Amino acid sequence: MLTTGNDVLTVPDRERILQAMADCCAENGYAETTVDTVLKRAGVEPESFDSHFASKEDCALAALNKIVSETLARISMTNPDAEGAVERRKYEGRAVLELMAARPTFARLGFIESRQGGTEPMHSAYASGVRVLALMMERLGRSGGSGLAARAALGGAEAVIRRELAAGRAARLPQLLPDFVYAVLVPFVGQGEALRQAKLAAKVATEEG
Amino acid sequence: MDAQQRDTLLRAMLEELVGMGYGEASVERAREAAEVSVAEFEAEFDGKDECLFAAYDDLTERVVARASADCDGSDPWPDRVRVGLESLLHAVAAYPEMARALTRSFPGIRPAAYERYVALLSRFVPVMREGREYSGVEEELPGEVELLAVGAAEAIIFGEVDAGRAERLPQMMPEILFSILVPFMGPDRAADEMRSAATAA
Repeated sequence: MLTTGNDVLTVPDRERILQAMADCCAENGYAETTVDTVLKRAGVEPESFDSHFASKEDCALAALNKIVSETLARISMTNPDAEGAVERRKYEGRAVLELMAARPTFARLGFIESRQGGTEPMHSAYASGVRVLALMMERLGRSGGSGLAARAALGGAEAVIRRELAAGRAARLPQLLPDFVYAVLVPFVGQGEALRQAKLAAKVATEEG
Repeated sequence: MDAQQRDTLLRAMLEELVGMGYGEASVERAREAAEVSVAEFEAEFDGKDECLFAAYDDLTERVVARASADCDGSDPWPDRVRVGLESLLHAVAAYPEMARALTRSFPGIRPAAYERYVALLSRFVPVMREGREYSGVEEELPGEVELLAVGAAEAIIFGEVDAGRAERLPQMMPEILFSILVPFMGPDRAADEMRSAATAA
C-alpha cells in the first residue's frame, strides 16, 4: 500500500480505534458496543472512523485480522533452533499465550466474541482459524479416534483459555502451556509421551525470552 | 402465574432470543404464548433481561440435573460418563433451539451472560474428577485436565448445534466419548471404550 503523508498521520487513529473496539467488546460485548462508544474511547472523530471502516462489523473484523496477523508474526519468530514439530509447537504455543496475556481484550474478541457473540462473518473467521489449527494438530501423530479428535483436543484447550479470559486472568495463560501441550498431544502420541512433553513444556514456559 | 405458565414463558423467551436475536426478542409475544398478563409478569420479573437470565438458569439446571442423575450409580466411571453423555446428546438433538439458546444466543448477549455459560461448563467438572482417580496416573495429570475433557465435548456439541446438525449428535456419541476419556486414559484405552460404546449403541 502506498503511504502518503496523510496516511502516516492517520495510522495512530486506526490503531486507537481497533484497540477501543476490542476493549469495548470485552466490557460490553459486541452486540452492545456501538461505533459511538468506540469513538469516545478512542478519542477520535467520526470522520476518522469513516475513513478507515465501513461499519462496526468492518472494524471488528479488522481488529480480528490484527490479532491474527500479530499471532502469525509471533509464531514466525519463535525459537528457530527447536528440533521437530512437537518442539516447535511448544515454542509457538508459548508465543501465542504470551500474546494473549499482553492483548487480553483482542484475545477475548477472537476466542469469545467471534465465537458466540459476533456476526456471522466474525464467526466464520473464528471457525476458519480453528480448522487450520486442528489440521496442524492432526499432523502431529496417529489419532485414536477420528478427525474430530483434533477439534476436540483444541476445544479442551480453548475452554480453559476462555474461562481465564472471562475471569480477567489472561496473565496466567503462559503458565498453562504444559496443560495445553498435554491436551493437544494426548490423542495423537499416547498418554506417556504427552505427560513427558508436558513436563518439558513446563521448562519452555519458564525459559527466558 | 402458575408453574406451567412460568415454564412456558421461560421457554418462549428463549425461543424469542434464538429466533429474533436479543434486540428484537419480545416479552409481549412470550407473555402471550404463556397466557401471562402484564401484571403477572411484572410481579415476577423486572424486565426482559431478568426473565431471560431466569430462563437460562432454569434450562441449565435441567440440563445439569439430567446429566448428573444419569452419571450416578456404581458402574465404572467410563460407563457412567457414557450414559450421561448419551442422555445429554439425545436431549440436545430433541431440542435444537434450546441447545442453540444454551450455547450461542444467550452467551452472546453480553459478558455477564457469557459468565453463566462458563459456570455451566464448570458444573461438569466434578463428574470428571472421578476420571482423575480412575486414570491410574492421578498425580501426573495436568491441573486443568477436567476442564480440558469438558471443553473437548463442548467443542463438538457446539459445532454441530451451530451448524444446524444437532440431530446427528447421538450417532457421534462414541467419538465424543473418546474425546472426553482420552485425557484421563490415553488413546488406546479410550479407543477401547469408544468401540464398546459403538457396539452397545
